Amino acid sequence: MGILVFISVLLVAACGLIYELVAGTLASYLVGDSVFQFSTIIGTYLFAMGIGSALSRYIKGGLANRFVWIELLLGVIGGFSSALMMLAFAFTQGFELILYALVMVMGVLVGLEIPLLMRMVRDRYEFRDVIAHVLTFDYLGALGASLVFPILLVPRLGLVRSAMLFGLINAGVALWSTFLFVDQLSATRGLRVACLVVLCALGAGMAEAKQITATAEDNIYADEIIFARDTHYQHLVLTRFKDDLRLFLNSHLQFSSRDEYRYHEALVHPGLAAVPAPRRVLILGGGDGLAVREILKYPLVESITVVDLDPEMTRIFSSNPMLTKLNDKSLLSPRVHVINADAFPWVDGNADSFDFIVIDFPDPTNYSLGKLYTTAFYRAVSRHLSAQGFLVVQSTSPMFARDSFWCIAETLKQAGLETHPYHVYVPSFGEWGFVLAGKHEYKPPRSLPAGLRFVSVGGLPALFQFPPDMAPLPMPANQLNSQVLVRTYENDWKDISH
Amino acid sequence: MKLARRKFVGLGSAALAGLLLKGDKRIEGSFVNDSFPRGHLLRGRAGFPPGKRVEKIPVVIVGGGIAGLSAAWRLQKRGFSDFVLLEMSPQPGGNARWGENEITAYPWAAHYVPVPGPQAAYVRELFEDLGVLKNGQWEERYLAFSPQERLFLYGRWQEGLEPAVGLTPKDRDQFERLENLFREFRQSGSFTVPVELGLSSKFQDLDGISFSDWLRQQGCDSRLLNWYMNYACRDDYGALARDTSAWAGVHYFSSRQPEEKGPLTWPEGNGWITRRLLERVGGNIRTSQMVHRITETRRGASVFAEETEFQAQFVIFAAPTFLAPYVLEDFPPLHDFVYSPWLTANLTLDRYPESRGAQPSWDTVFLDSPTLGYVDAMHQTLRTHVDRTVWTFYWALAEGVPAENRQLLLEKDWAYWKEAILHDLERVHSDIRQCVSRIDILRMGHAMIRPTVGSIFSEERRRLRRRNGRILFANSDLSGISIFEEAQYHGVEAAQKVLGRLHG
Repeated sequence: MGILVFISVLLVAACGLIYELVAGTLASYLVGDSVFQFSTIIGTYLFAMGIGSALSRYIKGGLANRFVWIELLLGVIGGFSSALMMLAFAFTQGFELILYALVMVMGVLVGLEIPLLMRMVRDRYEFRDVIAHVLTFDYLGALGASLVFPILLVPRLGLVRSAMLFGLINAGVALWSTFLFVDQLSATRGLRVACLVVLCALGAGMAEAKQITATAEDNIYADEIIFARDTHYQHLVLTRFKDDLRLFLNSHLQFSSRDEYRYHEALVHPGLAAVPAPRRVLILGGGDGLAVREILKYPLVESITVVDLDPEMTRIFSSNPMLTKLNDKSLLSPRVHVINADAFPWVDGNADSFDFIVIDFPDPTNYSLGKLYTTAFYRAVSRHLSAQGFLVVQSTSPMFARDSFWCIAETLKQAGLETHPYHVYVPSFGEWGFVLAGKHEYKPPRSLPAGLRFVSVGGLPALFQFPPDMAPLPMPANQLNSQVLVRTYENDWKDISH
Repeated sequence: MKLARRKFVGLGSAALAGLLLKGDKRIEGSFVNDSFPRGHLLRGRAGFPPGKRVEKIPVVIVGGGIAGLSAAWRLQKRGFSDFVLLEMSPQPGGNARWGENEITAYPWAAHYVPVPGPQAAYVRELFEDLGVLKNGQWEERYLAFSPQERLFLYGRWQEGLEPAVGLTPKDRDQFERLENLFREFRQSGSFTVPVELGLSSKFQDLDGISFSDWLRQQGCDSRLLNWYMNYACRDDYGALARDTSAWAGVHYFSSRQPEEKGPLTWPEGNGWITRRLLERVGGNIRTSQMVHRITETRRGASVFAEETEFQAQFVIFAAPTFLAPYVLEDFPPLHDFVYSPWLTANLTLDRYPESRGAQPSWDTVFLDSPTLGYVDAMHQTLRTHVDRTVWTFYWALAEGVPAENRQLLLEKDWAYWKEAILHDLERVHSDIRQCVSRIDILRMGHAMIRPTVGSIFSEERRRLRRRNGRILFANSDLSGISIFEEAQYHGVEAAQKVLGRLHG
């Protein structure tokens, strides 16, 4: 009997410390400044424990019942604390409020535990033994928890499931206590049912924890969200930090206003400036109007057709003042025609010819997008290319997704085009790649529009040089019936993130 | 962080709504394209009206499935258009029929053709005609897009239909052993498509036992392997391995080169081929024409359809051969023609169900289901964004006796089959009832010939193939297996015989 009581003390102490560590770690992780976070959270937690201890004197009768309820409450709150904080951070503005409220509540409950336990066993032992044993096991539990947390829990289970595991232990202690202190309890059956309910809830939580983390992380952006919308086609988020505006589509960064000029100048000018007298331009994707802004710098271009799936996207980039400032109201130009359509069927159903075609789709992260990187698609697009024309394809990173980049280049080649791959450095993206393709030889342009900030005549040849770590790799072409690119792309990024 | 409060509240209320609106939506639908009421008139030898009109036409093709349409295609292509094709149903196509709604076209039966090997010369010729094969290259848009097939087993998805998850070393060993055996059979050159080209008495013994007995003889008792072999037999023959000739079982695995490319498919399945053929020969087709009597005359044959007597020099009987004893005078009863009953359903989905992380595939199969799973008609779309779709659900009623299953098809009402289908899907897609708005069901009592033990080398079948009178047979059931290539082969062969004799 004795040792079992003290093992309860040990477990309870470990749980208490774990919740504190989870809160501190999560706050450091999400908000930063770990010294501040840990200091204030430990301080608050200890203070709240003091309040709990002080409050314990007001609990007079039914000690064991109260103890079981406190354990259950702590199991639920502590167990779900990490998930709650993550969701709070992702979906609300009041993360700090919720963080400290949770720390306070947990501290008070933990503060109640030990005094109650001591009183529950005081009749069984000498007073000095109670003090000595309880405190010994209390500190032992703390030591155990502080070692297990960084070595096993965080790397193996992660924060959400670690908290839930210890919530389960709290609830387990509650259930165990209904047997241990059965002589001091009333309404034992009800208590046991409550224990089982809490255990089940936490067990289910453990099983679903991955989903909770994914839901929350999808919504965690580094900067302030100034605009968020679920359109029919995608989840669109715009964030701002000082003068840096960033667009995310389905949580993937599309551009940062600080360096997007590098991307869009590189996307447009090496190809377009090399087309003699370009009149008609087609953009597939690119509803942000930033490539259009670059193309409008060519006075000879009479018409720019933008085909983007999402009407909401082109509407926002035509009307939101912050965004129209960024794209110079390019989508409102009388030379621009916006068509909201799915690119592949549109390309199939249209017969126009273009002197320059920009293909600027999101990376091939799924089989649907993968269709827009196939020989079938490039063959269909190249039928729209005039004799002197070029097309350019945003082709992901030749550094981080080297196989994918060269797979796209090979696909264009097998679609019957001559290819000219090149790359640029965009700080917010890293090394980024494009493939220029046409039906004839490419000669770098000898002049460019005035006022460019990145692309220059002298700098152009260097873009077409690939250092050894990005050099060509033999890759198969991507086809509708193989979709090797999507698989390759997934592996490329997996290799980097692990 | 700015509060996306709306989103938070939105999530909460969506969750609440989800709980409250769990009730099922209303699902419409009916049986469609029933052909048995007309067929049963033949069986009952009902009194048909005597011929009121007489039409003289050199060639009459009976049956507008792939065999009949292929015969027509060959006649037309050889510059001979003095023929009519009589089809019992309002819509031609047979097992290559299709349907269409506001979302997409979809198949009613056969939904793909494997990339034809060098021996399937007529199929290759057809595909060159239709622009599917250009300069030796298969048109990418007509090859099944990736991901093609997925199997649901042990609560998870795997790519491909051959079980690859949870195999014991014993399972693996048996799969490998069988694969080696099939490779040897393939290399023998006797298992070909079309069947007739390779058929050799060297392997006649295989036709004498069932596929399941043969597997047992090879020491293959793995549960997963036997599931897969049974799946293959149900898929191509509508039969279990124990009701299938071992020769046919081996043929399924040994008749084609293991290629990565194929198969060829379209949103409306083989209905796409029917459409292209109709563009070419549609002018010669008369639908809703039930042929109820064919008599041989001194100089040819008379075909009685509805109230017309067609006086022809040659008749190509491309309808299922089991109808011959009911239509042809003095035709002996058939013994080696057993047919598998099938049910197909087209389900209109207002959204895709949750897929637990798996990307939607072309063909989806569930381990241990009595059904064959479903094919997604929107899989071959070039669009990147798809909200709604149509699934074609396949169910060969393989377990038990065909005649009893045909009875079951007739007896049970639409609601019964609707529930059975949803029940099967629900085990994997728990929210399917919230996605489906319509289920149309096609019942086919004699959907396909069943290659029973002894049927491939059957003397009866051989005689019908060699037949040289005024009435030639052309249905795929002459091969003993019901696949596109066989139907097309016999159709073209019959047309060539007719052309030869007309001009000879």
